[in-house]
Amino acid sequence: MAAEVYVTGMGILSAIGNGVEENLYALLHKQPGISEIQMGKKRVKAGRIPLSDTELIKLLDVKQTPVSRTSLLGMAAAREAWGDNRLSPQLRTGLISATSVGGMDLTETFYADYLAKRPADFDVLVCHDSGTSAEHIAGYLGITGYINTLSTACSSGANAIMLGARLIQSGRLDRVLVGGTDALTQFTVQGFGSLMIYDSEWTRPFDDTRAGLNLGEGAAFLLLESQRSLEWSGNQPIGRVGGWGNSADAYHQTASSPDGKGAVLAMREALGSLSPADISYINAHGTGTPNNDGSESAALISVFGDTLPPFSSTKAYTGHTLAAAGAIEAVFSLLAIREGKVWPNLNFSNVIPDTGLVPVTEPESREVNAVLSNSFGFGGNNSSLVFTR
Amino acid sequence: MIARVYIQAAATISHQPVFGVRGFAASLSPLERGSELVQPAYKEYIDPMALRRMSKILRMSITSACEALRQSDIAQPRGIIVGTGLGCLLDTEKFLSNFLTLEGLIPPTSFILSTHNTIAGQISLNLSCHSYNITHTQNTLSFETALIDGLMKIEEGESPVLVGAADEHIPFLDTVAAEWGYTRLQLTSAASFYVLSGQASSESLAEVLDAEVIAGQNGTDESVISGFLERNGLTLAEMDLILSSGTAVKTDVKQMDYTAYSGIYPTASAFAFHYGADYLSSVSGSRYVLIVNRLRPENTGLVLLKSIEA
Amino acid sequence: MASAALKEQLKKQIIEQLNLEEVKVEDIEDSAPLFGEGGAGLDSIDALELIVLLEKHYQLNVTNPEEGKQVFYSIDTMADYIEKHKA
Repeated sequence: MAAEVYVTGMGILSAIGNGVEENLYALLHKQPGISEIQMGKKRVKAGRIPLSDTELIKLLDVKQTPVSRTSLLGMAAAREAWGDNRLSPQLRTGLISATSVGGMDLTETFYADYLAKRPADFDVLVCHDSGTSAEHIAGYLGITGYINTLSTACSSGANAIMLGARLIQSGRLDRVLVGGTDALTQFTVQGFGSLMIYDSEWTRPFDDTRAGLNLGEGAAFLLLESQRSLEWSGNQPIGRVGGWGNSADAYHQTASSPDGKGAVLAMREALGSLSPADISYINAHGTGTPNNDGSESAALISVFGDTLPPFSSTKAYTGHTLAAAGAIEAVFSLLAIREGKVWPNLNFSNVIPDTGLVPVTEPESREVNAVLSNSFGFGGNNSSLVFTR
Repeated sequence: MIARVYIQAAATISHQPVFGVRGFAASLSPLERGSELVQPAYKEYIDPMALRRMSKILRMSITSACEALRQSDIAQPRGIIVGTGLGCLLDTEKFLSNFLTLEGLIPPTSFILSTHNTIAGQISLNLSCHSYNITHTQNTLSFETALIDGLMKIEEGESPVLVGAADEHIPFLDTVAAEWGYTRLQLTSAASFYVLSGQASSESLAEVLDAEVIAGQNGTDESVISGFLERNGLTLAEMDLILSSGTAVKTDVKQMDYTAYSGIYPTASAFAFHYGADYLSSVSGSRYVLIVNRLRPENTGLVLLKSIEA
Repeated sequence: MASAALKEQLKKQIIEQLNLEEVKVEDIEDSAPLFGEGGAGLDSIDALELIVLLEKHYQLNVTNPEEGKQVFYSIDTMADYIEKHKA
């Protein structure tokens, strides 16, 4: 019998709120965080967090310098998830973060100066690599030992949660903070722009007229505990990580296969011994791109057939937060269980004729016992998580 | 550890001529300044339409991965687990330059290839492999965390798995190193890939007993090393060889700074892993090799290898 | 009918933009499909690169990848598009 993995803490910072309660309020009141922003030479619709780096440093009393925005967002979310837990030599505590951009917000400013032969601060480059933000977040909370970072694009956050759960089940850790963080950078805004994958308007997940995604930034962390850790801490579980699955599409570098093969494998693996009928709500990946939503719809039909539970994408609220998405949406999934609610898929009007799938469009009260959360990445890395009571 | 894990195959592309070679450990010499990457004929491993886009790190990784799979005669691993410290630097640099300097549309290819998980993604594409696919990016500990992930997969009953690590050098890194006052050893590129299995065979190079990472602590605290060995019922004195980087381990046991042989790159401990496995499989009478990665003083990576005969 | 000179220039630019290291101008047939298994084996990333190429060298804007499918079918269709829109 595999050991239980309990979720006892959550933390989140997104375009719709600072902290769990603000995010919950926005979800309930259908308040999206998407606006038009200027990132260097590019103007796009995105879910930006209305706090500058200076404000975050002050708010969080951060001593680390230099420090990237990615680290700051992560510190905020991890601090909330950690709450007033204490470290102890009795418990092996770890931290697993996930990121796509790492310290690129600092690197790109440096590089612009460097290329233009202006004085450039080489010291900021210590923040460049992906692993540094996990180190900064762990250092901020005093956690040492197993510190790790995963980087698998849009499925990263979900993979961090999965890895943390496996480390607990293998007996290598007693408890672990898991999640992801990504700040908006010119690099990603230009990068996704070069893929011609944006909607110049507000994104429309699962809508027949959908034209692309809106990016977002944010961070979220969960605190996972083993049975042994739970007995020591006395924390009340919010829920459990009930299942997980990961699969590669192996179809193309950037596109998902039309039948969503990798997605089907990931979802089935996450369900494990649960039947599709046991799932109360699905938080879809639903980026609003013609490719993803089409292939994810096909995959949902493959797995759930006629008994598809209520489902929605929450990316019209937050934007696509890349490595943070799987973790942000994990928080939304756990809130669905805690509150007995399913979240709406904003900006939906037209059913896709081939699939006939209609997402939830209003926050609805439901008995929510198990939630499936999908995060399907660039390059075909597909991850699904199941959260239960 | 619950399951036993064996190294079935190993392939490394580096500044040392070790690609496809077994039994090199005893005769390897430290790198000379100005050494170059020893590259095989990539065309023999990668289709030209795929190869045309690939930077150094991708070519090295896919080729090493293919070679390791070929040696072990495995078509489909049950997991593809990759570690990288700095990822795809050539494409990152190219895309940065492009969007900062070009007017008009920006070419997308270098953005797509700059993402860290391109390596694992391309390997899965090459093999049409749908199993577990992951990329670890914890700078100098990326190989060890990838390895621990691989060990867990085998404990979970998923065997064999492909585990590897790679990093590529770009001239800009030398500029940064000079700014930071670092000039001792040459900065290099390399890729190392391994097939790990829960079953031993006549081809097995060595057994992996355990691996651990201790980050955010004072790297000169030797008690983490003795603690690690104790949990495996062993002591430092029983080691036949210690492969270390950063601060040398305080011991009389035979010790080697592996970075003198691999050059400096974040995941250089992956080279040490190959060296250690090769040593155990070719130097008779050797039983245990310990790898102590302290390339960055605040991050310690520990790997314990055992020979098949011991 | 687009000129042979334009088609040759286009082939050179495509080889450069798409890093087709092993391919020579003589290897590319004017009317052969550029995309998919049966043709030159280009993929969706190449389609985006061709959009960049048209803008960079000919100041033409193919606005979405779908429109691109028609325009980029072969060297002939690309050259015809350039001729038609340059005038």
